[in-house]
Amino acid sequence: MVGRDLALVDWAATTPLGDPEGWPQSLKTTVSILLSSKFSMWMAWGPELTFFCNAAYRRDTLGRKYPWALGRPANEVWAEIWDDIGPRIDTVLTTGEATWDQALLLFVERSGYPEESYHTFSYSPLRDDAGHVVGMLCVVSEETDRVIGERRMATLRDLGSDPSVVRTEQEMLDFARLQLSRNPHDLPFTLTYLFHEDGGAALAAATGIREDHPAAVDRLPAGSETVWPTAAPARGESALVPLDGAVFADLPTGERPEVPLQAMVVPLRQQGGAPYGFMVVGLNRYRDLDDGYRGFVELVAGHVATGVASARSYQAQQRRAEELAELDRAKTAFFSNISHEFRTPLTLIMGPVEELRERLTDADAGVREELEVVHRNGLRLGKLVNTLLDFSRIEVGRMQAGYEPVDLAVVTGELASVFRSAVDRAGLDFRVDCPPLPEAVFIDRSMWEKVVLNLLSNALKFTFDGSIGIAVGAEDGAAVVTVVDTGIGVAAQEMPRLFERFHRIENARSRSNEGSGIGLALVRELVGLHGGEISATSTEGHGTRFTIRLPFGSAHLPADAVLPEADTGAAPFATDPFVQEALRWLPGERTAATPAAVTDIEEGIDGPTHGPALPVHVLVADDNADMREYLSRLLLGAGYQVSTVNDGRQALGAVRAKAFDLVVSDVMMPHLDGLALVAALRADPRTASVPVLLLSARAGQEASIEGLQAGADDYLVKPFAAAELLARVRANIELARLRNHHARWRTALVDSLQEAFFVCDEDGAVIEINAAFTDILGYGPEGLPYRPTHPWWPDARTDSEAHRQVGEAFALLLGSTKGSYTIPITHRDGHRLWATATFNQVDDPDTGRRVTVGTFRDVTAEHYAIQRESALAALGTCLSRATSVPEALAGALDELKKLWRARSVLAAVFDHGDVPTLTSTDASPAWQELPAARRGTLEDLRQGPILTPVADHTGAGILLEFPEGPLVLWMDLGENRPFTGEDQLLLSLLAGHLAQGLNRAHQFDQQRETAIALQRAILGPSRLPDGFAVRYEPATQPLEVGGDWYDTVTLPDGRIGIVVGDCVGRGLEAASVMGQLRSACRALLLQDASPAQTLMALDQFAAGVPGAICTTVFCGVLNSETGQLTYSSAGHPPGILVRPDGVTRLLEDGRSLPLAVRPGNQRPEGSCTIPARSTLLLYTDGLVERRRRPLSVGIDQASEALQDGRDTSVDDLATHVMSRLAPVDGYDDDVALLLYRHPAPLEMSFPAESSQLAPVRKTLRGWLAQCDLPPTTVQNVLVAAGEACANAIEHGHRDAPGDTIYFRAEAYVDNLHLTIADTGRWKAPQPELDIHRGRGMGLMRALMQQVTITPGPSGTTVDMHTRIA
Amino acid sequence: MTTPLTLTPGRRPDGTALLTAVGEIDMSNTGVLAAALAGTDGPLVLDLTGVEYLDSAGISVLFPHADRIELVANPLLEPVLTISGLTELTTVHGT
Repeated sequence: MVGRDLALVDWAATTPLGDPEGWPQSLKTTVSILLSSKFSMWMAWGPELTFFCNAAYRRDTLGRKYPWALGRPANEVWAEIWDDIGPRIDTVLTTGEATWDQALLLFVERSGYPEESYHTFSYSPLRDDAGHVVGMLCVVSEETDRVIGERRMATLRDLGSDPSVVRTEQEMLDFARLQLSRNPHDLPFTLTYLFHEDGGAALAAATGIREDHPAAVDRLPAGSETVWPTAAPARGESALVPLDGAVFADLPTGERPEVPLQAMVVPLRQQGGAPYGFMVVGLNRYRDLDDGYRGFVELVAGHVATGVASARSYQAQQRRAEELAELDRAKTAFFSNISHEFRTPLTLIMGPVEELRERLTDADAGVREELEVVHRNGLRLGKLVNTLLDFSRIEVGRMQAGYEPVDLAVVTGELASVFRSAVDRAGLDFRVDCPPLPEAVFIDRSMWEKVVLNLLSNALKFTFDGSIGIAVGAEDGAAVVTVVDTGIGVAAQEMPRLFERFHRIENARSRSNEGSGIGLALVRELVGLHGGEISATSTEGHGTRFTIRLPFGSAHLPADAVLPEADTGAAPFATDPFVQEALRWLPGERTAATPAAVTDIEEGIDGPTHGPALPVHVLVADDNADMREYLSRLLLGAGYQVSTVNDGRQALGAVRAKAFDLVVSDVMMPHLDGLALVAALRADPRTASVPVLLLSARAGQEASIEGLQAGADDYLVKPFAAAELLARVRANIELARLRNHHARWRTALVDSLQEAFFVCDEDGAVIEINAAFTDILGYGPEGLPYRPTHPWWPDARTDSEAHRQVGEAFALLLGSTKGSYTIPITHRDGHRLWATATFNQVDDPDTGRRVTVGTFRDVTAEHYAIQRESALAALGTCLSRATSVPEALAGALDELKKLWRARSVLAAVFDHGDVPTLTSTDASPAWQELPAARRGTLEDLRQGPILTPVADHTGAGILLEFPEGPLVLWMDLGENRPFTGEDQLLLSLLAGHLAQGLNRAHQFDQQRETAIALQRAILGPSRLPDGFAVRYEPATQPLEVGGDWYDTVTLPDGRIGIVVGDCVGRGLEAASVMGQLRSACRALLLQDASPAQTLMALDQFAAGVPGAICTTVFCGVLNSETGQLTYSSAGHPPGILVRPDGVTRLLEDGRSLPLAVRPGNQRPEGSCTIPARSTLLLYTDGLVERRRRPLSVGIDQASEALQDGRDTSVDDLATHVMSRLAPVDGYDDDVALLLYRHPAPLEMSFPAESSQLAPVRKTLRGWLAQCDLPPTTVQNVLVAAGEACANAIEHGHRDAPGDTIYFRAEAYVDNLHLTIADTGRWKAPQPELDIHRGRGMGLMRALMQQVTITPGPSGTTVDMHTRIA
Repeated sequence: MTTPLTLTPGRRPDGTALLTAVGEIDMSNTGVLAAALAGTDGPLVLDLTGVEYLDSAGISVLFPHADRIELVANPLLEPVLTISGLTELTTVHGT
């Protein structure tokens, strides 16, 4: 084409070169080289530098200047860039030396406007027949797409590279502004506007433009069309704005000569909502607004929109977190206030007690004992209150400390010594090793005492034999204090929470069950205040070691709290509670649980003859109102408190609800008579001891005996004298008092417990409870006994899982002698509680029966706090592991399902329209398959507020924001499962986290897609030669493109250049180096260099490109007809060649150093012939290299994969190799792969004429010869193919001779595939011809393994396979 | 363009009519062969030793004369002759 246009130029008239006939030989030769080259070139010759170019140059670069440019002076053709290229051409012409320019920016006018373009080119001198330089040749490759693609990719990458995950809207905009301002070429200026509630928009960020520029208008009212349109972006549409008018004068140029001509207004889209705002982007006037540019601007706006979404959602989360923190502060304040309130009464108790202990040194042992009990428990309570106060002081930063310089060894040794007696008494070895330290340590004595004493008392509590040790030493500029025991140790899974506040290790064997779980937490806080650290190591069953490190000196402490010298007079003052408490755990000391002798207390009861001094409560049961009144009057008159009931049943209820001192009951009563009442009372251990006086109208010995046998305490026959009744009442109460003293005392004790107390009989029926039990569970003594299943068990039907948990715990209680468990229970009013039950089996001394006593502690708040914490952690882990949105979503749904033991969890994303995309923990259902009611619930949720849980009798759901549209979560919990306030809080917290996590994953997805699309755009030829297959896969994690590449270059004479290379490093830099090397290598191969020459030239080139050194390259030239391959390898892993017989050969010849390591050295070359039906695999190391595995293993695996795929097409084989060798988590390095199977498939098309049969056969015969087949196979294939072609000519094109027939043959390793397709319509059968064709078909079927004929509307296709013997 | 094929008539030493074919036989040139066969009468030996390719189109021309001809063929043609059933009607000599 170009040749013809050159011929049209009137050379003699318009150029100094004259008529072509007379051109020198050198010019003729150069022009013919130019014209025949497929590589883009132009040249200039003669005094005016007359312009010539070839077809490739015309296509890639010249644009509209063709054919005008032919024969013109070069400075006219390239007038607009002559300032750039003229001097270079001069250099070539004057020095005769070539020039080389990499990606030079040139503004060319070839498309009707000055266009920003980039070219990599060399100018080399052209000489005339006499050897004088008379012109120059330019070999050029246009790199505009690559350079601009890389630039845009860098901006998108930087936009997505913000290390902080969440931040405020302003921070996000600032970050984006910084990144956008770094690409003034594509974004000469940008203005980001955010919509306000009134519909107006306000400027939020600007780049490239002065803030006071009239185009950077601050506020745009709703619907405004002046300066920038707001209506279009508000509707979610983009708009183009021509930048003419006064307001747009003096716009920034974006480092280009002229200002932008247009701006694009792009909405900041909110998925499922109105846009957040819009972005105005000034457009580079030197680039066409093509799909790529438009897409880039949309992606930038998309990034900013996602950022706004993320920041706003973060802000909402932040508010929620602050509310929770405020609640926490309030709790702390409350705690601290209440602790204060304890101190005054405690002081008023402890003061007099101390005084009494001193005054009553001579009193009898019982009194002393009781005083000790009061004293010890006072100390214990005081210690607890003080610790809580310490905490609240630390929390509000008001811990008053005075750090004085001391010898830590001395102070610590003294503290340890006060514990010696307790340790000795425990029978343990106490090792104190406190040699003096070289330097002073600054401590607050009172704090330090608490540290040491807490650790020692802790050690003593959990150590039963062996030793306890404390040691002080110096190490690395710090004092080190260790406390070591040989106790029970701490389980590994408990270690992380050892120092947590209120965390107690359950079921640990210890000297005492006392303890609030705050000792170690306080120790850590106190050590922290000293600028020190504490750590613990432990082996379960062997002991625990606590190590404290305190820096020497005072530099790390607040200066105003440092005292100049030690207050030597100060003595330990807080040791008493610790030691007292420890001693009480040990044998030989009386404990509070064994009360002093009963007789002592008895003295406190007034003599009965003077009437009761303590209120005595009598219950009267009689169905006769007059009798009730009479008895009441009598008893009230004697100073008793009286309650009355009408029958035995009421009496029983009353006695169970409240302790009475005596029951006076008639025998004859409705519902339950007196005898039955006595029997019922006696049967219940709790009421067995209530004295009963029976009144009866029946006289006589027998009646009396019957009553007494039933268990009545006394029996009085009506009528009776008032005095007698009162005497009997008094006597019985007195007797019962004596008898019941012990039980009363116990009841008082039990009722004073803060924990819910219960007693179970052997069958698990709860037969006794205390007041706290009623407070916590809502069930009072009136309902006793509570038989299993207890009424506080969660409902088996609606909450089977919780019910099961309680059932299991209950079995444990019945089956073990002691234990502890935490269970969900249902309060009488229906709300959910979590309680920790601790129980012990004991023998009832009265009955000899085994009973279980236990307590419930309300741990609801604790339980939910832990549940929230671990659920958030689990969700966090699952989200951080996910690398894509579907993976993150699926993982999160599983977590929710696990957490709530839901039947299933469903996510509906309303990404477009009203039919959402569903994801479920079950097989994802289709929207229309969901029950209508469920669809309705989801629709309602979608319309509701975000992050607000909604629950009904089937489950619970919540709406959250998601980049692809509103996301509704629904958990199917089953019928009537309770979904409490705590559940709702947890769900909203998790949903908030999930929304953020999905946002992150979404951004990650987008970046990945963008990165891969751009890398593929930079990579590889768009059309591969036949027989080749290639793959490129970026590393999975972290997502980055890399420097691997492959390339094929079609050379003259059926030769093909093959390149696979690997630049060091990852990311954009490596990709950019890769792009340059790839272009250079391609150009060198096109200049007909051999592989070794190519690599040697590439050595020189790479030496000048930063980052290109040590690139490895395999470069080969293949003769596609003979299979002859010459190659050279610059440190690249060997190619793998698998022959049809399965023998593998590695291409290990021609190997030398990686690029540019020793430029100038000769490079060797290897060669081999690729046998027919062999497969060649070239690759980069990411395919085969794995950590801790020799390379040969990977190469063997690749060979096996090639073997396995011997009977697949080369493209399928490439897919197979990539997936077979991929590690479980994906490739951790990028991989480029190139496959070739020899010979390449044969493809031809020819007109449907019988005269074509012979030439087609000839070509096929030649190709079959390349396949190296036995002669009979060749003949069979020829005949079968001939028959198929004849068929296509006869049938398909009988009426349209000359239409095209398509023919394809491909050799697999053991198989040959033939395809013959025509475009004609087969006619109705013609008997005569059909006999003949039937014969042809018969031949095809007999000669080939498999024949498939597929007729279709657009033609018939015949597929034939045959095995290669 | 038709596929190259030369047909040379002659006589065997025993006087039997002989037709020697050299080249390839496909649908583009079966007419020539059919005409040559039709031009003979009585027993005929058709020598296909020099024929490198023969497909069903060629076979179809031979079938009407199966009763009176004998073939001499190179082994490469054997599968086609056998599969088509021609060998059941006609004697085929190898070379």
